[in-house]
Amino acid sequence: MPKSKAILIDLTECIGCLSCEAACKQLHGFPPEPELKLSPTAFTIVEQHGDRFVRRMCMNCQDPACASACLVGALRKTELGPVTYDSAKCIGCRYCLVACPFNVPRYQWAKLAPFVTKCDMCYARQAKRQPPACVEACPVQASMVGGRDEILEEAQKRILADSKYVKHIYGSEEVGGTSVFYISDVPFEKLGFNPVESQPMPVLTANALGDIPTVVMVGGGLLAGLYWITNRRKFVALAEAEEAARSGKGKDPHHV
Amino acid sequence: MSNIRLPKLTFWRTVVAVIFLAGAYAAYARFALGFERSTNLADSQPWGLWVGLGTLCGVGISAGGFALAAAVYLLGFERYRPVVRAAVLLSFLGYLSVVVGMMYELGLPWRIWHPIVMWNRHSVLFEVSWCVMLYTTVLSLEFSPSLVEKIPWVRLRDWYLKWHHHVLIALVLIGAILSSLHQSFLGGLYLLAKGKVDPLWYSSYLPTLFYLSAVPAGLSATIMAVYLCNRSLNARVDPRLLSEMSQIIAPMLYIYALLRGIDLATHGGAGYLFRWREESLLFWFEIVLFVLAPVFLLSQSRVRNHPNALYGTCALVVMGFMANRLNVSITAFQASSGFYYVPRWTEFALTLATVTASGVIFHYAVKYLEILPRGVPVKNWMTSHSASA
Repeated sequence: MPKSKAILIDLTECIGCLSCEAACKQLHGFPPEPELKLSPTAFTIVEQHGDRFVRRMCMNCQDPACASACLVGALRKTELGPVTYDSAKCIGCRYCLVACPFNVPRYQWAKLAPFVTKCDMCYARQAKRQPPACVEACPVQASMVGGRDEILEEAQKRILADSKYVKHIYGSEEVGGTSVFYISDVPFEKLGFNPVESQPMPVLTANALGDIPTVVMVGGGLLAGLYWITNRRKFVALAEAEEAARSGKGKDPHHV
Repeated sequence: MSNIRLPKLTFWRTVVAVIFLAGAYAAYARFALGFERSTNLADSQPWGLWVGLGTLCGVGISAGGFALAAAVYLLGFERYRPVVRAAVLLSFLGYLSVVVGMMYELGLPWRIWHPIVMWNRHSVLFEVSWCVMLYTTVLSLEFSPSLVEKIPWVRLRDWYLKWHHHVLIALVLIGAILSSLHQSFLGGLYLLAKGKVDPLWYSSYLPTLFYLSAVPAGLSATIMAVYLCNRSLNARVDPRLLSEMSQIIAPMLYIYALLRGIDLATHGGAGYLFRWREESLLFWFEIVLFVLAPVFLLSQSRVRNHPNALYGTCALVVMGFMANRLNVSITAFQASSGFYYVPRWTEFALTLATVTASGVIFHYAVKYLEILPRGVPVKNWMTSHSASA
């Protein structure tokens, strides 16, 4: 089994040079101009919050909401860590956009055959043991890739070694854990990180889906039972009417 | 003089023609120009009017079919038999509109069959798609005798009707279960969007709430449809039957309101009830329209027993229901997305044209098939030999 990979983004190191975005765009053949927000032609971008630069990309969750939402299973969490998108399966329902707690997936609204777009942590490159293009392009220590456990250890080491760091690794607990981690010296809520659930999102729908057998068994049984009673009543009423008619009490069998 | 008789130009025909023309342009815009130039959808509001109005309301308002079929065939409420065919037809056309809606709602509609072979059983939408597929099939079978009994070939007709009689109970039972599942799972879709849905609408009971609200809305829509047929298509359904049906609606709305109230009080949404913001106003709009006004009106026997007043009250229930679904699917996302979605006119036009088409088909079905008891003999549709027994 391949080892699950993860990316660590150290916001104290980022110099905002946009090399990551440029490398990503070059790899995917997108126009090279930098963009302000994630888009179908920008799978990673760099936001500026005060004097800090925050690189955004798909968090590649451990238990992704998008993958549980996708009715045809086009989105999938791979053993290697990336959450991949199989455009051959997608029907364009856009439930993944509704579901994603980080608002990452983008839709090609302008196209006549539109697909969902998002970063897949360079799954194809990683499968060939190459680092993601954005990490490779980073000239400083702001982005690094490695085994998920080692990366978490490294993040832990960095925030313990220096008191400037916020004592939290963003992504270690969020939505049950992700494959992209952030460490920072500025509180995360000031850098545009929205509060998210601490439990994996698919837990929210798993309970409802677990009720299906109960609804089918109990509901089906109940309705069948009620139908049996209804039928029995009709049968008894008919038999009684016939009996009454035969014994000649003069009762009209049609008025029972 | 030409022998071709053009249809008479009436007010309603003109309205329908205008709606279809607008719908035709909107369909052109959707398929030839794409989402960007036919909708105001965006990444932060990926589901808009087509999902909120077309799918959520379409499926919900079509709940009357399974409820009445179950009441008549399974629970023995024989007195509702005169309206059961109308209810089933209304539901069938409702689901057909939803399926047609999917064709412009989905980005890649030619792949609509994918869920049949590509499964993800962790997906609520997967369950919904299967239930809708199966239930639309069940509805077409439940409705089929209305068409088959017009077939002039006696042996085929009798064979089919005999066979149908044997499986009808099973169909109704399966239909009731499938309906219960997907009516609630449409609410279940939004469970996954916790944190994005406004606290006034987010609830872990969303599936139950969707189910409990769909049934009264479906019954109200059925009452409305039968009332209109009585009025303009010479149908002869005893208004007392409709009045009696409406008595079930108020208790259902009570239960719904009770669960909604308890849930708001315990899940912290109650704190948002009286804030001066658009969401809270729209919440109260929905509650007044869907629950408070109808519950009061239906408690008055004067209203229940007056066909016009009953029709108006049922219209309130249906509109309140639509307000709820649009609130859940659109209003509830505004604050978290920071995006103010107002549907483009082409979005309205396509949904309106789809619903209107269903209405037109319903009209002609009631006119030429035996859907409701009518004051004049039903015209023979295919042949003069058809048995109208």
